[in-house]
Amino acid sequence: MIKLSGLRLAFDSGFSLDVDSLKIRAGEVFAIIGPNGAGKTTLLNSMAMLNRPAAGTLEIMGKDALASANKLPLRRAMSAVFSQPYLLNDTVFNNVALPLRLRGLRDSAAVNAALELFRIAHLKDRNGRTLSQGESHRAALARAFVTKPKLLLLDEPFAALDERVKESITRDLRRVIKTSGAAAVLVTQDQAGALTLADTLAVLVNGRILQQGEPQEIFSRPVSKEVADFVGVETILPGKVASNRDNLCAVEAGGHTLMAVSECRAGDDVFFCLRPEDVSISLSADAGGRRNNFKARVAAVAPWGLEYKVELDCGFTAQAAVTKQLVDGLGLKPGAQVYASFKAVAAHLIKRAI
Amino acid sequence: MEFILEGFRKALQLIFSGNPEIFAIARLSLTVSLLATAFAVLAGVPLGSWIAVKKFPLKKLLIALVNTGMGLPPVVAGLVVMLFLARSGPLGFLNWLYTPKGMIIAQFIIALPIITALSVSAMQNVDPKFYNQILALGASDRQAIWVCLKEIRLTIVAAVIAGFGRLVAEVGAVMIVGGNIRHQTRMLTTATVMETQMGNFDMAIAIGLVLLALGFVVNLALTIIQQNKVLTR
Repeated sequence: MIKLSGLRLAFDSGFSLDVDSLKIRAGEVFAIIGPNGAGKTTLLNSMAMLNRPAAGTLEIMGKDALASANKLPLRRAMSAVFSQPYLLNDTVFNNVALPLRLRGLRDSAAVNAALELFRIAHLKDRNGRTLSQGESHRAALARAFVTKPKLLLLDEPFAALDERVKESITRDLRRVIKTSGAAAVLVTQDQAGALTLADTLAVLVNGRILQQGEPQEIFSRPVSKEVADFVGVETILPGKVASNRDNLCAVEAGGHTLMAVSECRAGDDVFFCLRPEDVSISLSADAGGRRNNFKARVAAVAPWGLEYKVELDCGFTAQAAVTKQLVDGLGLKPGAQVYASFKAVAAHLIKRAI
Repeated sequence: MEFILEGFRKALQLIFSGNPEIFAIARLSLTVSLLATAFAVLAGVPLGSWIAVKKFPLKKLLIALVNTGMGLPPVVAGLVVMLFLARSGPLGFLNWLYTPKGMIIAQFIIALPIITALSVSAMQNVDPKFYNQILALGASDRQAIWVCLKEIRLTIVAAVIAGFGRLVAEVGAVMIVGGNIRHQTRMLTTATVMETQMGNFDMAIAIGLVLLALGFVVNLALTIIQQNKVLTR
């Protein structure tokens, strides 16, 4: 669907986007995540042919997207939704009909179907500028889908929405994308949203793609400290592999010997990475078969979404995500003495250059 | 003081008795200024939009020139057009000097920079992201400009009102190019000047009142078009 290589864009500010290679297959939902200012929107705008790369090749649906003659036909085979809905000062119906009219088509059945798809048929005579945030995003999605695009570009489509509205729209979007078979490129800072929608994930930091692959793989096996940082690995300890026996590594880190399953070799300098969801807390020393078990002192307890995050001092600092029930049940509060444990397979090692 | 009231009384008499000369002059004034405005809109709005959305070298210089053109003195525009249309001038063969066609050209030249400059700034006020969104929905550049123009129609119509207002009130250019020839190129403004100089204050006041009424009616029509579909806050 999209193939790009050596794509480079430089800006006066000194920022440059440099993407060696990226491939998006038909029917795939490809999410690009990364912090603010990483170049996500610039990359998406390149795919929408809204900016001019200084170097590289970009192929969309088998056609050279950098050739100006191909731009209009390619744009008409795809569609885009941005963080602002950008509706016209006109009825919702006419807003959704716009892409068809731009193609010289009048098809009110298609418009009504698109309105139905995003459950805003009852709003069709309202002026687009009078809608609520959620409704106007639904209108923008209906407008993007009215032409049945083969490729959909989504730039932070729900950044401005509150959690509840975002969830319900994301659910509808997922259903529509999956049934339409369109490929979609989603640019977002919202990792949970990316996880719900994406088949493939790419992490863009500072204009470079640091890792791409299946979301679970990236979340549990980041290839670098930057990626680990961004995808929510909270415990990142520098250390050294002391031994490796059948891929079970003993790592000297944080003043302890920590066990991790990895292909690193003895003597490698590594970062020892641990996600908060993988750390268990108990009051007894019985680790239930987990290879890492440490006596720990609770340093802090703070709400974290619907759960709680507990900061543990086990000689090194580890974060654990636990339920409210557990916090109450174990009486977790700063100063409490507990045991922190995690499996060797849950830990992940990143080789670090010295 | 007496002669002013007397002038007004006679002027109203002239208007309501349907003085044919006044109405013929009014018709010519309206035709010339409306056509000149229409041509200036047809050329200036696309030109201004194009200047606004395209990137090219010396863009700022061109915008500065267009902005300067907004203050173009009508007598200068009239003089230049007269020189071109004069018998020995480069366009002398057209024989348009002292004709309504010549006046339309002169007024077109006055209105063009006004409408172009106001279109540039109206279009530059459109969020580039909005423009990109329209492109990304499958619009050609021309279609995207058209969609944006419909969004900023309020400001565009304001530009049309400004242009027409300037033309209908303008006297210098039509005087030089038209020559204020009775039954041929006499406009409301040139007639007002002439009648005033001749001391026919009742006629001058009558023509002046017609001029004001004309301006009001046209602007009322344009304003109704403009305020259509305006959202109330």
